Amino acid sequence: MGTTLVFLLSGTLLAATPLLLAAMGELIVERAGILNLSIEGMMALGAVVGFATIMATGSHWLALGNQVATGIAVGILGLGLSGLIGKPYEGMTVAPMKRIPIPVLSEIPIIGPGLFNHSALVYLAPLLAVGLWWMLRSTRIGLIIRAVGESPESAHAIGYSVLMTRFLAVMVGGFMAGLAGAFIATVSATLWSDGMIAGRGWIVVALVVFATWRVDRLVIGAWLFGLATIAELLVQGAGISVPSQLLTSIPYIATIIAISILSMDGRKMRLNAPASLGRTYNSTA
Amino acid sequence: MKRRLTNWIAAACMALPLTGIAATAEPVLIGLIYPTPVADVGWAKQLDLGREAVEEAFGDRVTTRVVENIPEGPDASRVVNQLVADGAKFVVLGSFGYMNDGLRLAQRSPDVDFIHASGFRQAENFGTFTARSYEAFYLAGMAAGMVTESNTIGIVAAFAIPEVIAEVNAITLAARKENPDVNIRIVWVNSWFDPAREQEAARAVISQGADVVFSLHQDTPSVVNVAQAEGVYVVNTGSDMSAHGPDAVLGSVVHDWSSYFVEAVGASLEGNFEGHDERGGLASGAVSVQAWNDVLTEEQMARINETEAALISGEAHVFAGPLKDQSGTERVAEGEALPDPEIFAMNWLVEGLTGSLPQ
Repeated sequence: MGTTLVFLLSGTLLAATPLLLAAMGELIVERAGILNLSIEGMMALGAVVGFATIMATGSHWLALGNQVATGIAVGILGLGLSGLIGKPYEGMTVAPMKRIPIPVLSEIPIIGPGLFNHSALVYLAPLLAVGLWWMLRSTRIGLIIRAVGESPESAHAIGYSVLMTRFLAVMVGGFMAGLAGAFIATVSATLWSDGMIAGRGWIVVALVVFATWRVDRLVIGAWLFGLATIAELLVQGAGISVPSQLLTSIPYIATIIAISILSMDGRKMRLNAPASLGRTYNSTA
Repeated sequence: MKRRLTNWIAAACMALPLTGIAATAEPVLIGLIYPTPVADVGWAKQLDLGREAVEEAFGDRVTTRVVENIPEGPDASRVVNQLVADGAKFVVLGSFGYMNDGLRLAQRSPDVDFIHASGFRQAENFGTFTARSYEAFYLAGMAAGMVTESNTIGIVAAFAIPEVIAEVNAITLAARKENPDVNIRIVWVNSWFDPAREQEAARAVISQGADVVFSLHQDTPSVVNVAQAEGVYVVNTGSDMSAHGPDAVLGSVVHDWSSYFVEAVGASLEGNFEGHDERGGLASGAVSVQAWNDVLTEEQMARINETEAALISGEAHVFAGPLKDQSGTERVAEGEALPDPEIFAMNWLVEGLTGSLPQ
C-alpha cells in the first residue's frame, strides 16, 4: 500500500512535469496573441535532439539546455524532422537522470519519496510557474506581452514592437515545448522512439484553455491531469471493475467539461482569453 | 505545356509494351508496409527479418521495398495503392488495421498476392498470418510462477483484442499451475504505442507488488527499462530484449516470420499462392521464448522444456479443459480443448483474474 501511494505521488509529478513545462510555454505564446498548434512537433523534436545530445555527450543538462536551438527552428516540421533525425536512435536507451532527494523533506514517509526525490527539473517546473505568474502579473515584460496579446494596435501605437514580442514569445514557447519533449525522452522514459510524444502536445493546448490562460490554474490542471493518468493505471492494476477506456478518457472528459462550464458564461471566457488571440496583426496597417 | 503533355503520353504509351517484355527478366517487386519504424527491436524489426530471409532465399528473383511507420488509416491505403501501382506483385501488410483497405485492393488487383498480419478475413489472393504467441506466453507464465516471491505478476497490455486476451489467459493458467497463490494484475494501456505511458503502467503494477512484469506487445524496451531499474523480472514481446535488461529479462517471446514469408513468397512466384489463415506456433518456430534468465534452475528449465515439447507434439494444449471463465461458467469441458476459432475470438478472462475487459 505504501509503495503504491509513493508511486501515486511520484508518478503524478513525473507525468505532470512535461505537460506543465510545455503548457507554460504555450501560455506565454497565447498571451502574446499567437495560437501555436505545433507543440506536438516541437516536443517531438525536443525529445529527439535531447536524446541525441545525451548519446553524444552523456550530459542530461546539455540535452535539456540544447532546446534553445530547436525551439527556434521548428513548427509543423518538428514531427517529421524528429523521425528523420531520430532514425539511428530508434528504440535506444539512456541512463536515467540523477535524482536529487531534498534533505529533511525526503525523509517524510510516503510524501518524502513520493514528492521530494526527483530529478531537478521536476522541482524546477513549479518554481518556473511561480516566476511566470509573477512575470506576467508584475513586470514590464509581462505587461508588454499581455498588451500585445490584448491589443496589438495599442501596443504598437505606444512604441512596442508587436512582431518582436511575438517572435520572442514563440521562441520561449518552442524552448519550453522542446524542454518538455527532452524531459520525456531523457528523464522519464529514458528512450526515444518516433511517435513517443503520443498526443501530449494536444493535451498541452487543451490545458491552456482549461486553465483559462491563468498560471495558477495551469499548475493545478497539469497536476490533476497527471494524477488522473496515474490513478487510472492503479485502479486497473487493483482489479477494480471499471471500463479502462472510460478511465483513460477521464482527463480528456474533464477538460471538455471544464471548457464547457467556462464557456457557458461567455463573458468570463472572453475576459480571460487574450483578445487578439489567433488574429493576424499587420504592423504596417 | 499541352505539347509537352502529349509528348509525355506518347512516350508513356511506347514504354508500356517495353515494360511488359522486360517484366519476365526483372525481379519481382515485393512491397512491405509496417506500422512503426524498423528499430533495433520490436514488431517491425521482426517483420523486416522476414523480409531479409525472403531476399536471401530468392536472391535476384525478387526486390523488396519497405514503407515503414505508416499509421493505420488513409495514409496506409494510399501507400499500398502506390506499391501496387509501382508493380508490386506481393504485398506484406504489417498491421491489423490495414485489413479492410487491403482486402478491397486485393479484390481489385487479382494478380497481386497479399499477406496481412492478424485479421480474420481472407480471399483467394489475401492471406492472414498470426502467431500462436499464447503458446510461448504459457511457457513464460510457468517461469513467472516459479520465480515470483511476492506472488504477484503484473501485466502491461496494449489493447484487449482476442490475441492479447489469449496471452493474458495463458500466462494466468501457467503461473497458477506452478504457483496457485499467484495474483495477477493487468493494466490495459489502450494504445499500441506510448512508451512513457507503458512505463507508468509498469511502475504502477510494480508499486502494487508485482515482481514479474509482462510487457504484452510493447514495441520498445520501455517496460524492460523500468524492470531493470526497479529490480524486477520482465517478459517482453517481439524481439530478444535481454540487452536492454540483462538482469531483468526472464525470457523474451520472439516472433520469427522468416519461414512463413519465404513459403508464401515462393508460392506466389510459382503462381500457386492461396490466401489462408496461417497460424504459426511453437511447432513451426513462428514464436518461441528466447533469452531465458539464468535464475531458472536446471530442474525448472527441464519442466518448461518438457511442457514445450508436449505443446509442440499436440499432447498438451494451453486451453485444455476443464476451464472456467471469470464468472465461474465452464468454457471448456474436461478432456476437451478450446477450438481454434474460439481462441482467436477470445473475449473472456479465465477464472481468478480480477478486473474487467475493455469492451
